Amino acid sequence: MLMSSQLMLSDINEGYDRLTNLQQELSSGRSISKPSDNPYGTSRAMGLRGELAGLTQYQSNVDDGTGWLNTSDTALSQMSDVLQRARELLVQGGSDTADQTARNAIADEIDQLTDSVKQEANVQYAGKYVFSGTATDTQPYQLGTASDRYAGDAGTVTRTIGPGVQIPINSDIHQLLGDGQSAGDGKLLDTLRSISQNLRGGTTADADALRGTDLQSLDANLDTLNQIRADVGARTNRLAIASSRLSALQDNSTQLLSDTEDADMASTVTSYTTQQAAYNAALRAGATIVQSSLLDFLN
Amino acid sequence: MTSAFFGLQTSLRGLLAQQQAIDVTGHNIANANTAGYSRQEAVLEPTPAYLIPANSVNNGSGAQLGSGVDVSSIQRVRDQFLDLQYRAQQMSLGDATARTTSLDQAQMAFNEPSDNGIQAQLSRFWDAWSAVANAPEDAGARAALVTGAQTLTSTFRAVSDQLTTVAQQAQDEYDSITGPAGDVANMASQLAGLNRAIGDAVVRGQQPNDLMDQRDQLIDRLSQLGQVSVTDTGDDRLRIDFGGVTLVDPSTPTGYTWPQTLTAPGGQLGALLDLASPTGPALTYRSELDAVADDLVTSVNALHTSTPFFDPAGTTAASINVVATTATVQTGSTGASGANDVAQAIAGLRGGTTDQMYQALVARVGVETQAAETAQSTAQSLSDAVDQRRQSVAGVSLDEEMMNLMRFQRGYQASARTMTTMDQMLDTLVNRTGTVGL
Repeated sequence: MLMSSQLMLSDINEGYDRLTNLQQELSSGRSISKPSDNPYGTSRAMGLRGELAGLTQYQSNVDDGTGWLNTSDTALSQMSDVLQRARELLVQGGSDTADQTARNAIADEIDQLTDSVKQEANVQYAGKYVFSGTATDTQPYQLGTASDRYAGDAGTVTRTIGPGVQIPINSDIHQLLGDGQSAGDGKLLDTLRSISQNLRGGTTADADALRGTDLQSLDANLDTLNQIRADVGARTNRLAIASSRLSALQDNSTQLLSDTEDADMASTVTSYTTQQAAYNAALRAGATIVQSSLLDFLN
Repeated sequence: MTSAFFGLQTSLRGLLAQQQAIDVTGHNIANANTAGYSRQEAVLEPTPAYLIPANSVNNGSGAQLGSGVDVSSIQRVRDQFLDLQYRAQQMSLGDATARTTSLDQAQMAFNEPSDNGIQAQLSRFWDAWSAVANAPEDAGARAALVTGAQTLTSTFRAVSDQLTTVAQQAQDEYDSITGPAGDVANMASQLAGLNRAIGDAVVRGQQPNDLMDQRDQLIDRLSQLGQVSVTDTGDDRLRIDFGGVTLVDPSTPTGYTWPQTLTAPGGQLGALLDLASPTGPALTYRSELDAVADDLVTSVNALHTSTPFFDPAGTTAASINVVATTATVQTGSTGASGANDVAQAIAGLRGGTTDQMYQALVARVGVETQAAETAQSTAQSLSDAVDQRRQSVAGVSLDEEMMNLMRFQRGYQASARTMTTMDQMLDTLVNRTGTVGL
């Protein structure tokens, strides 16, 4: 008597435990709720979660870098327009048909354009000066004629877009704008100041310089600007590619993580139903086993 | 020649013996659900024959005339070999159960996989460094980093504390079981008392079956706690060796010796000692967690060169501590506000040795807990299987008892019928003989 009821009880308990485990899987939606459920799966899931968090972070780094580069590109494109205008004015002012009054007016506009260039160089992204190197709190150029000196540094600002992969996101505006006339470096600010000076000068030498060295110097600076813009564009492209690759990896890791730690609902529900039927059958059989005894048949 | 009343005596013996057998059956049925009860049976034996002298049968020789039946003893039906097997299984079950409970606690301490465990916190720590790298000028990002790092270190400390507690609990349980008022002392004194009572009864020629059942049940329970071996020292008194020392010895005045230091505990006590020891699982996990903490402190501080980020002295999980403040967080190797190479290098530690060591640790905890769970379920099945075999021998089967009841009832009825027959014969002899002519 004791024997068969004990055996039955331990079997029923086992069935109940299995049912409870499946119930937990169903309610939590996870096949792993503690490491011992599946030690290999747990460490894999932890690795994948870490990887996924990393990918999400890289993605946000890429977004941040893209914003920065877009800001740079807009500023550089404005600068390019300004330079085109300056070139038109220069050609106009260098022509012998222009009299001194017209040249003075042109020189005034050139001065304004110089400030525009500086203003574009001072553009900010999220409160940071994008053209200051790593001195992102420092405005790279002072507006006005007081100083044309570059106040930033030559540092490189980078963003991590993958494990060990860093991409510079700032551009060296100093190589384009230079330090102005006092440095005599032939860069953009120096050139613009020279143009303005030559326009106002009124001598034949000034007129020759306008048509000669100033024009050449301005064209050289335009080339430099185009190079910088091409470089920014290339890096923007690289970030876009990185972004789509990161999304693909994110999808992949999410899928793997789900395969590893999420319960397969279809199979879990099926197992649950099967297990429940087995459990009910065990209970019913148990009731029959416990009831029957020789006593039932004696009178 | 035998007495005319000889047959009455034979029938009476039959009646008494059958009645005693019915009493034993009744005792069995009454104890059908008593834990540890062994089925008893009345052993019936013919009583010594009456010797009839020579020349009493027709070939001239003598004869032996059966004089009926007697209950020679009431015995427990029990297989001592199955007891040995059962106790061996109980010992491994005790060991496996203690281990599973403790390891499960240790595993819960890690709280993995989850959104709040050390793994998730580490991940957020690296995220915070990336955020600082993206905005090195931003004091808010640095403040978030420092707060996140403090949460991480306090999680390390909490897990370490819980692992210490798991080991301490094993030690406490061991102390409570082996203490002066613990289970071992209690059982030992009961066993000594039962030994004495059983010995006394046996000396008086009795068979103290129910006391023996109680004693066997106590030994079963004791075997779950540790290694038990049993030796009969005569008169059914048992010497019981427990965990490598002699616990119960009928030859000593008190009958038992406790407390003692166990030399080879085994069972639950052996497991508890192992779980509490510095080389046991919980404290091993803790020292591995220390190694993870040490790796984190060393690798971050090596990159954070201006001032230490973590307290360089706190290289265990219990002592890991953040000393950096929002002001001292170093983002770049130059002082420039936008310099972020240091922050990027630290964020680049993501998925490195610290994460890997921690993942390996959690996987190890999982594997060992799973192994303990498997061992427990195996020990449980084996123990159940042996118990079933034991119950099939010693357990009360109501069907069998009902059949015995019928058998002995019929035996009783038949003896009564024999007696009636004798009575009728005597009636004829005493009252109807020699009455010719009356």
